[in-house]
Amino acid sequence: MADSLLWVVLLPIVLGFAMFALPKAGDGIARGTGIVVSAAELLLVALQYGRVGHQVSYPWFTDSPWTAAFHFGSSQIALLFCAMLALITLAAAIVTNVQRERDFMAQMLLLEGTMMGLFLARDLLVFALFWDAMLVPVFIMLVNWGEGTAAAWRFLIYNGTAGLGLLLATAAYGILAGTTDVIGAAHAQSLAAGAAWWIFVGFAFSYAVKTPLFPFHTWMPDTYTASPAPLAAVISSVQSKSGIFGFLVIGFGLFPQEMHRWAPLLSLLGLIAMIYGALVAMWHDDAKRVLAYSSLSHLGLLFLGILSFNQLAIVGVLVYAVAHGLFNAVMFLVVGYVEQREETRAISRLGGLGINNPKLGGAMMVGSMALLGLPGLAGFAGELLILIGVWGSGQHWYAAIALIPIVLAAVYMLRVLLKVVWGPEVQDLPVRPDLAWWEIVAVAPLAAALLLFGLWPNLAAPAAHDVVNVAASVAAAAPATVSEASH
Amino acid sequence: MESSVISWPLIVWLLPIAGAVAIWACGPLLRRFAGPLACAVIGAAFVGTLALWPAVAAQPAGVHVTMFTWAPGITVGLLVDRLSFIWLTIITGVGFLIHVYAIGYMEGDRAEARFFAYLNFFIFAMLTLVMADNFVFLLVGWGLVGLASFWLIGFWIERPIAVEAARKAFVMNVVGDVGIMLAIFALFATFGSLSYADVFAKAAQGPGPVMTLIALGLLAGACAKSAQLPLHTWLPDAMEGPTPVSALIHAATMVTAGVYLVARCWPIYQHAPGAMETVGVIGALTALAGAVLGVVQWDIKRILAYSTMSQIGYMIMGVGVGAYSAGVLHFYTHAFFKACLFLASGVIIHNLAGEQDVRKMGGLAKRMPVAFWSMLAATCAIIGVPLFSGWVSKDAVVYQTLAHGHPVLWLLGVAAAALTAYYMSRMMWVTFAGSFRGDEHGAHAHGHVPAWVMGLPVALLGAGSVVIGWLNWPHEGFAEFLAPIFGGTDVAPAAAWGGEFLSTQIPLFIALIVGAGIAYLQYGTAGALAQAPARLEREAAAQPAFLVKLYYWNELLDALFVTPARALAALCARIIDPKLIDAVLVRDVATDAGVLGLLFRRWQSGLVRTYALTLLCGAAAIIVYIAVVR
Repeated sequence: MADSLLWVVLLPIVLGFAMFALPKAGDGIARGTGIVVSAAELLLVALQYGRVGHQVSYPWFTDSPWTAAFHFGSSQIALLFCAMLALITLAAAIVTNVQRERDFMAQMLLLEGTMMGLFLARDLLVFALFWDAMLVPVFIMLVNWGEGTAAAWRFLIYNGTAGLGLLLATAAYGILAGTTDVIGAAHAQSLAAGAAWWIFVGFAFSYAVKTPLFPFHTWMPDTYTASPAPLAAVISSVQSKSGIFGFLVIGFGLFPQEMHRWAPLLSLLGLIAMIYGALVAMWHDDAKRVLAYSSLSHLGLLFLGILSFNQLAIVGVLVYAVAHGLFNAVMFLVVGYVEQREETRAISRLGGLGINNPKLGGAMMVGSMALLGLPGLAGFAGELLILIGVWGSGQHWYAAIALIPIVLAAVYMLRVLLKVVWGPEVQDLPVRPDLAWWEIVAVAPLAAALLLFGLWPNLAAPAAHDVVNVAASVAAAAPATVSEASH
Repeated sequence: MESSVISWPLIVWLLPIAGAVAIWACGPLLRRFAGPLACAVIGAAFVGTLALWPAVAAQPAGVHVTMFTWAPGITVGLLVDRLSFIWLTIITGVGFLIHVYAIGYMEGDRAEARFFAYLNFFIFAMLTLVMADNFVFLLVGWGLVGLASFWLIGFWIERPIAVEAARKAFVMNVVGDVGIMLAIFALFATFGSLSYADVFAKAAQGPGPVMTLIALGLLAGACAKSAQLPLHTWLPDAMEGPTPVSALIHAATMVTAGVYLVARCWPIYQHAPGAMETVGVIGALTALAGAVLGVVQWDIKRILAYSTMSQIGYMIMGVGVGAYSAGVLHFYTHAFFKACLFLASGVIIHNLAGEQDVRKMGGLAKRMPVAFWSMLAATCAIIGVPLFSGWVSKDAVVYQTLAHGHPVLWLLGVAAAALTAYYMSRMMWVTFAGSFRGDEHGAHAHGHVPAWVMGLPVALLGAGSVVIGWLNWPHEGFAEFLAPIFGGTDVAPAAAWGGEFLSTQIPLFIALIVGAGIAYLQYGTAGALAQAPARLEREAAAQPAFLVKLYYWNELLDALFVTPARALAALCARIIDPKLIDAVLVRDVATDAGVLGLLFRRWQSGLVRTYALTLLCGAAAIIVYIAVVR
């Protein structure tokens, strides 16, 4: 049968559909199946580390209008994101507690499979296919389990528009270059500068919406707020990284000059996002909205790092991308725990949970400290490496200004943590049992990974080698003739 | 000296974290044994530290352990040289005594085991800070001691005032952390390395302005951690933590990290124009400003907190003028006498059921002789009674300011010494002399922990406060011991006017007599003691608002930073995000697109969910087809 790399993509999709065959009433069976499948998926991803670089390809369009293939390949960078996705999906599956669990779990698996396909794709068309496909389960979950359908539509329309941009750019690339089977290829065809810039804009726009980058972010707080906790954990942590992944693998790989051309604008937007997101996060009372805007702030830092064209910053970007995924997942799950118990997530209503629920308080402490960049955890390592790189690339003011949101992060995160977990108990809130063992088991591996990457961020260094043309794009930028000559 | 991977420094470093994790994980099982276990771990770390002595004494460059590559181009390891060794002895030695004391102090607390887990974790973090051989692990330790301090200030999480104090300490320390981060950016860009050895070897080649930037970034970290102006306001509030924490973290060890940092990075400061002067001035101003505020406090722990701020000011002033070993010596003696003062005040607070206001004390000398005699020894040390430890070190610092050519700093140092003598003597007379003014019914019922558990550490530290300065005899022993670190640079270029005796010892002695004498006349005479309650009330009412309000410094910081940030946050969240970006940029565009979309509407059934599922099924079918059939 087929290759195990392909099964990384297929297993969740096939079994996700197969879940619909389970009895409708059996929530326990559904959750158990979901946990087993996502655990198997994690194992399957881990196995891929045994043969990094392995590829499978099946022809799709053979010549007209361009050549494309169902081409998947494992690389260090893809596996890093896949492993994060598998770990977080497993955590989300463990703590899923919703109505109609069978259908929810099926959608979660479909979401996991489509995102696996995205990260492993080696063909731009396949990438675009999964890019749009992964919107579907999110939309369905938002409609059925979310807080109101308005957010679902907003998510679909905004991201669908971005997906359209990606699809058009992909088609244009295919027609001009003759093939879309180019992701991670050693000698990808460079486009003529005249066409490259607007094709790049198509890609960059969709990546910027998906991540999101200021000012394309307004769909995101609504979506995260409306999502049930397991879904919010997965999309805020991993789906947001698909745009980052796009810039790292496709942006640097195929459009190094364009990356450089647009760098001033994109990194300025990243810097604005950092400060703006942190400021807005200081204001909101809804804990999920605080997390959403803190994400906007943190993702801005990733843009700053990517567009510094510095190899150390790229290591930092990967560490921070993983860190952000992990601590966001922890925080969304923990806020879910709080909401389930106290029936509210309004910071002003909550208080003193740590007195009766010390484990819950501890989990929130870990997540908050990782999020605000406590030295020793992965968020700090990523921040430090990114900003060393940004400073090293000569953007001294950017690196210095980017320190302000780090202070603000301590302010807004302690505002949540200390109000919710510390302080006197709020009398009219229900007193509920502390975390159950499975709720701890769900977040403990994420916390362990945060510690591991914090102590040893060099783990992400091999993946950084997959980001090509980082230094070359700087060197090549001055004489724009490289692409002209090769075309 | 390169050491093998499994080695003493590694063991000393990892013991406390192992203890912290074990106590944290087995807390409910350990119950009352959490404290003794935590003590055993720190005791073992202290023995391990002493076992490092021969190697450290024999090797001027210290014992070095390379651990692993943290990130490309950044290798981390441990370094125990003479400077870090000095800190290690205090962290594990004084730390051990305070752990023992805490068994008594924290007895019966709801979260006793958690307390000891935090305390062990703090020791680990502090060891990381002083054992790092590079700036990354320095910053990791720097952040983790901040975390431990935050946890322990807010240890009684149900008290809002403790929560606010913890928040303030954390945020101010993050401000310091980002200062160090800024320095790290510039260090890596300039030297291509973050290890001490590489950076210090090439420090002379660094361009002046960059070196100044690095030095000031580090100084921001030092000011935050060591409660120096303008980032000092968190330290007095931190007294909300349990008293052993105040003694260990907020007096003896963590708050002196800034002194360590400047002393460690002396090659940077030497080549950073203007930076040394800034350090010296900040230290001197803090020494004076802290002492002035010590005069108007009534809470015994707050008096000691302002005195800590002031004494660290002396240390920072010492390292700032280039007298590194004098600054380090003052750290060393201060660790003993200030830990003693805090622990003795803890005995009082413990026995008076939580009372901290000195106006409600009085006459305690007979009731609590161990606390009294220890505190008396430590007070003699801090105010500089000749031969006591503080006399040796304060004298060294003040003399060195003059010898390095800073007469203004000398004057500030002498003035602060007079104030120190005044407020410490005041505290002693009000607390211990006369008759008891408090509530007799508040007496504390003792549990099963014997009295020596708290008494012995206090007495030992009291004895240390007397003798520990003698380490510097017969002949500048500290400077000699540290000569391999500072390369002889901290020796004053020439003897100052009149020599040490005339220029410093005599003026400091006069300051002592004046300060303590005024305090005696005001609080210690028989007449003053007889009418103490009424006098103290009258005095409290007459205190100038500018001092009672702590120079309005909190209000100033609020007006400069907190209020504008809040206003900006509200502006972004209420107007820019919903009304500008979302309304104008997004929804209007969507509306325009919607008008266009009317033209195409006939193509669509409108059920997007159906489309979406169709799309997904199609994609999956294609993949399955390929995977299975081919």
